[in-house]
Amino acid sequence: MYNLSTVIRFEVIRTVKKKMFWIMAFLFPVVVAGMFTIVFFSNSATSDALKDTEKQKFSFAIKDDTAQIDPSLINAMGGTTTSDVDGAIRDVKSGKIDAFFHYPKELSTQQIDIYGRDVGLFDNGRYDGVARSILTLSASQSVDINTRTILQGEIRIHSQTYKDGQPYDGMKQLIAPGVFLLLFYILIAMFGNQMLNSTIEEKENRVIEMILTTIEARTLIIGKIISLIVLAFIQIIAILIPIVALYLTMREKLELPGIDLTSIPLDPIRIGIGFVLFIASFILFTGLLVTVGAASPTAKEAGGFLGVVMMMLFGPLYAVSLFVSAPQSGIVQFLSFFPFTAPIPLLLRNAVGNLSYTEAIIAIVILSASAAIVISLAVRVFQYGALEYSRRLNLREIIIGR
Amino acid sequence: MKSDIITIKDVTISFGNSVIIDDLSFDIRRGETFGLLGSNGSGKTTIIRALLGIYRPTNGTLLIEGKPYHVNQGVKLGYLPEERGLYKKEKVIDVMTYFGQLKGLSYRESFDASMKFLARVQLEDKATARLDKLSGGQQQKIQLGVTIIGDPQLLILDEPTKGFDPINRRLLMSIIEEHQAKGATVIFVTHQMEEVERLCDRIILLKGGKAAAYGTVAAVRKQHGGASLDDIFVSIYSDEEESDV
Repeated sequence: MYNLSTVIRFEVIRTVKKKMFWIMAFLFPVVVAGMFTIVFFSNSATSDALKDTEKQKFSFAIKDDTAQIDPSLINAMGGTTTSDVDGAIRDVKSGKIDAFFHYPKELSTQQIDIYGRDVGLFDNGRYDGVARSILTLSASQSVDINTRTILQGEIRIHSQTYKDGQPYDGMKQLIAPGVFLLLFYILIAMFGNQMLNSTIEEKENRVIEMILTTIEARTLIIGKIISLIVLAFIQIIAILIPIVALYLTMREKLELPGIDLTSIPLDPIRIGIGFVLFIASFILFTGLLVTVGAASPTAKEAGGFLGVVMMMLFGPLYAVSLFVSAPQSGIVQFLSFFPFTAPIPLLLRNAVGNLSYTEAIIAIVILSASAAIVISLAVRVFQYGALEYSRRLNLREIIIGR
Repeated sequence: MKSDIITIKDVTISFGNSVIIDDLSFDIRRGETFGLLGSNGSGKTTIIRALLGIYRPTNGTLLIEGKPYHVNQGVKLGYLPEERGLYKKEKVIDVMTYFGQLKGLSYRESFDASMKFLARVQLEDKATARLDKLSGGQQQKIQLGVTIIGDPQLLILDEPTKGFDPINRRLLMSIIEEHQAKGATVIFVTHQMEEVERLCDRIILLKGGKAAAYGTVAAVRKQHGGASLDDIFVSIYSDEEESDV
C-alpha cells in the first residue's frame, strides 16, 4: 500500500478546493428535509397501520376521575376499572395488564396519563387511540350538553411505556442508533455520483496508463474509497456546524425547544451494531459504485447504473412501516439479508430495536464479505478495463482478465 | 558489453482470434536508446503495454531488470503513453507534484523539480493554471514533465513527438539527449525515422507482430544496401500501404 497516503491526500485536497463541494454541503440539509417531508406525508401505509392498531384488543385498566365514562363501555372494550393508581402502574410494569389510563377530574386543564407495555414504536400509538376512542364514545352516549362539550374538547395526553419493568421511550431509543441510518442516507445521496465518477475520471482523461505504471491499481482504488469516506465526514461536519451554530445563537429568539442530550438513552450494543452496519454498508456501496465507474467508458454510460443502484438501496424506504411493524415477514427478511438492499432495512430495524443479535451478526458477515468481494472486483475491473475507452467491459473479461 | 535491462522472449499476445504479437524476442541494453518502430497496428504499443503489465501476454516472458514489471519493483520508470492525458481540472503544479510523490519524491523535492521543469519549458507562469486552460502543445510539455520527473532510469516514450510543433520537438529531443547523457535507457516508439537515426543506438521494426528488422541502426541499414531508415521503412511497409489503398 505504498503511496496510499499520497493518493488520499491528493483526492481529498482537490475535492475540498472545489466550490461545488461546499455548495452541496449547505444545500443538502434543505433538500433532505424536503424529501423527508414528502415521504412522511405520502406514507399512507404507516397511518393505515396506526388505525389498525387502534382496533387491536389489549388488556387495560381505567381510573376515571371525571365520572363521565360509562363502566359498561369500558367492559365492552375489554377493560376494567380501578381506583388504585400505583397498583395499576405496577401491573403494567410487570406485564399483568397492557395499559392503564388515568382520566383526571378536569379534562380541560389536566392531562390524561397513559401507562403502557412497550409494543414497538408504531404499535404504542394504540394506547393513545383507545384512550381517545373511549372519550369519543362516551361523549356520543351522553345526553348532557356540558358533559359532551368537556369530553369532546381539547385534551392533553402524557404517555409512559415500560419494557422489562423499566420506563422505555421508543422514540428516544431510536435517536442514537438512528444517527447511522441518517448518516448513511445523506452520504450515499451526496456522494453517489462522486463515487461513480472517481474512476471514470482517469479513463476519460486518458491518465490511466500513467497511473497504472506508477502505482498499484489496488492502492489507487482503496485510496479513492478512503478519501471518499474522509470527504463524507468533512461534509457531515460542514452540514452540522451551521445547524448547531444557528440553534445555539437563535434558540431563544425563535423559541426553539431545549435539547437535553443527557435524556437520550445510549444502548452501547445497538450503537455498536449500527456503527459496524454503517461502515460495512458504506464500503460496500462505495466499492459497488467505483466498480460500475471502472467498468464504464464514460460518465454518461455509468449514470444509467447509478439509478439502478439507488433504486436498490433506497427502494426499501417505501416499505418503512413493514420494517417496524412486521420484521419477521418474508419480504423484510429478504430485503434485510440481500446485500444490495440490506443497509436501509438493517439500520432502520436496529434503530427501532427489532433486529436480533443473531440477525445482526449474520447481516454484518454478509455485508463485510460482499464489500470485500466488490472491492477486489473494483480493482480487477479498473486494471483490466483501464484501456477500454469506448466500450463497457463484460463479465467474462473481468473474471479472466486480458 | 552492456547488460540487458529488458528481455522479451518468445512473446505472443492475442486478443480473441487476432494475434497482435507473434512469437517475438528481443532485448534492450542498459543505457542505450532503442527504437521500437513499425506502422500503425504493427504491435508497438501492445508490446510496451505488456512489458509494463497492463496487458497479459498469451505466451512468453517480458522482464525488466530480470523480473516481470511491478510498480513497487524499484525501477525508476518514466512512461509517456500513446493515449495520454492528465487530470484536466487540476492545477499544473498540483498534478506534477502528485506524480512526483507517487514516484517516490518528497513533496518539496517534487514541487522543486516541477518548478524547475516549468522554467525550462517556459511555463512557470502557468504553474497555478488549470490544465484544461492550457493549449494542446503546453499540455504535451506538462505530460513530458510528468514523465521525466524523478530522473527515471528507464524512459519509455510512445510517439513522444505526436502533437508537437518543430520548436517543441527540438526541445523534446534535447531533453531526451540529457537523459541519455545521464545514462538512462530510452525506448523510443515512433515512425519518425529522422529522429530514430539521430537518437537511437539499436532498433527493431515490427511488422504483423514479428521482427522485420533488428539490430544497430548501422547494421539494419547495411542489411538493406545502405538505404536510409526512411527508405527501409517504406520498402518494408509498402505492401501494407498498397493493401490499405
